[in-house]
Amino acid sequence: MKRFLETGNFAITEGAILAGCRFFAGYPITPATELAEAMSLRLPQVGGIYLQAEDECAAMHMCVGAALGGMKAMTATSGPGFILYADPYGWALGCETPMVVLNSGRVGPVSGITGAPGQGEFYLMRYPTQGGNFETICLAPNTAQECMAMTVEAFYLSERFRMPVSVLADQLITDGFEDISVPENEDEMKEMGFRTWPREICRGPEFYPASDALDVPPVVLGHNTGALCSDWTPTEEGYDIEEVEAHHKHAYRLIYKVRNNRDLFSHHYEKKYMGDDPDLVVVSYGSPSRVVNTAVEKARSQGLKVGSLRLINIWPFPDEHFDRQCKYLCVELNWDGQLVREVQRAAPKGSGVHFMGTCGDLPTTPDLIETFEKLLKNEPIRRKGWVLEEW
Amino acid sequence: MEYRSSVITSKYLRSRKIPSTACSGCGLGLNHKIVVQAISELGLDVADVVWGTSIGCAGRQTFATWKGDGFAGTHGRVYAISRGLRVALPPEKKIILTVGDGDAFGIGLLHLIHAARSNADMTVIVNDNLGYQSTGGQYGWTTPQGSHTDSSPYGMFEHNLMSDEMDVLDILKGAGATFLARHVAMDGQRAVETVKKAILNRGFSLIHMPYPCPTNFASRELGSRNQVNIYRWIQERAAPLGEEKENTVWATGIWHDASNSRPEFSEYVHETVEKIRRTGSI
Repeated sequence: MKRFLETGNFAITEGAILAGCRFFAGYPITPATELAEAMSLRLPQVGGIYLQAEDECAAMHMCVGAALGGMKAMTATSGPGFILYADPYGWALGCETPMVVLNSGRVGPVSGITGAPGQGEFYLMRYPTQGGNFETICLAPNTAQECMAMTVEAFYLSERFRMPVSVLADQLITDGFEDISVPENEDEMKEMGFRTWPREICRGPEFYPASDALDVPPVVLGHNTGALCSDWTPTEEGYDIEEVEAHHKHAYRLIYKVRNNRDLFSHHYEKKYMGDDPDLVVVSYGSPSRVVNTAVEKARSQGLKVGSLRLINIWPFPDEHFDRQCKYLCVELNWDGQLVREVQRAAPKGSGVHFMGTCGDLPTTPDLIETFEKLLKNEPIRRKGWVLEEW
Repeated sequence: MEYRSSVITSKYLRSRKIPSTACSGCGLGLNHKIVVQAISELGLDVADVVWGTSIGCAGRQTFATWKGDGFAGTHGRVYAISRGLRVALPPEKKIILTVGDGDAFGIGLLHLIHAARSNADMTVIVNDNLGYQSTGGQYGWTTPQGSHTDSSPYGMFEHNLMSDEMDVLDILKGAGATFLARHVAMDGQRAVETVKKAILNRGFSLIHMPYPCPTNFASRELGSRNQVNIYRWIQERAAPLGEEKENTVWATGIWHDASNSRPEFSEYVHETVEKIRRTGSI
């Protein structure tokens, strides 16, 4: 095990290399630039290829191309670049091409504030492309170390589910320097709970089975298997077809291969002080969850019956954590409230689901504790002079 | 009527997709035949080629016709996809792309320029039916000026990539393409010889191949779906390079041949990476 004081971007690079990634294409964008830079330094050292693309749309398309050629590939960006992934993301979902996408959230909309953390892409990670008829998988780490773990995990899941898997971080996590341990061999990787899966090759003649099966090898071109992949609705052999029944079969696979195999990743979450049925559950992911955990710990020491639920697997949304009727507070790095909508949907009727937002800046522990107290006393929460809608 | 496949068809193409679902009288089959004939004359095998297409008439009608591996990319992005695929595939595998004019010269032009810039080994056949015909017939970026289409009912008056002495091949030459040519669909064996040279270039090759669309282009511009009219219309406006007449729109032949004069993208990248891996520097 080697230890470093390094950034999340460094950790993601090392994680990707450990997972077998040998192709990265990207476009400079704050705050994901350092990841591209780290890849340009590290990949050649392990025989991998770094390419700078003319835009993010090309970057992800190049990754899909490399993945279709049999390589494990990754790209990374921030919100303004992530929207340019819409085109290739859909193609990769439809062709069931494994690869990993990292989005380091900053403040939006559009270019917004470049060097500050934001969580404005919660729903964009669920629907990164048009057309619907698919599920997506998204993991949201909250430390540099976890960035590495979730990058390795994302590669693992992308191979087994045969689809692009995304990692949602934010500016603080990818740019912040932290203590990072990098495993040096397979035993150490296993010790750290890292799972890997080799790239396999679908030999056909069925390339798009109408089933929810895991571990169908992906389509790889260049092995003369007669493999076909396209942007159209495919038949099971990969021919383009304009028939509703064929589309239904394809959509069934894209949706249910994820829905029916969730046990493969549903353990990605963190619970603190959740054992005694707390009156208030604070829900968060990414960098705000670190402040939330501290605030909940302090609140407990003050006798407030508060628990923390940190989501790591954010898509498909883990409804199973919201089976209890109680108060929920969603702490997010946006002013409009995105995670809170999903919690409102998932929580039992009669639960009070509340929202506390900041953006570009983390919430503070005193602010959080004050909000916990108000909610537990059934008082309205008001913040910083803005009158926000009561969730 | 039973379709009897020729030797070339049965060797290289999938009977499920040939004949294609192209409109009656469509000239795309001529271009397609030229490319497959060139592959055959070069003695290449099905396994030697990965065939890529995009969307629109040219993409949809040629997708999955190749007996070997094939893909159809998103609109305009196959040049980026192919760069990624290029570095992953062994260098001896040929990537041949049959795309449309809207795909290459409209939505995909940025990616096309960067593919030329990097000199990535691929052969791009731009099947130009003079506009966006699969969406009903709107003008494109090489539609002759004055043409009547569904989106230029008064005649196409914009300056485009084939008007005012402009030529899209100039842009690609400036970007670093190592083989550029133009042929119309009726050029037959002359075009076959050119495609062979394009495939043999270890680098970025592009052939611009206008072909007749009787259904949409001809019906609006010539007021007739009679295929003879549009075939004649295109042929009258095409002449071999050096023999251009006043009304020549498409001067045909090899336009720029710098085959194998620049390092090929993936080979160069792999060599450089290998050097860095061994020595730590370039």
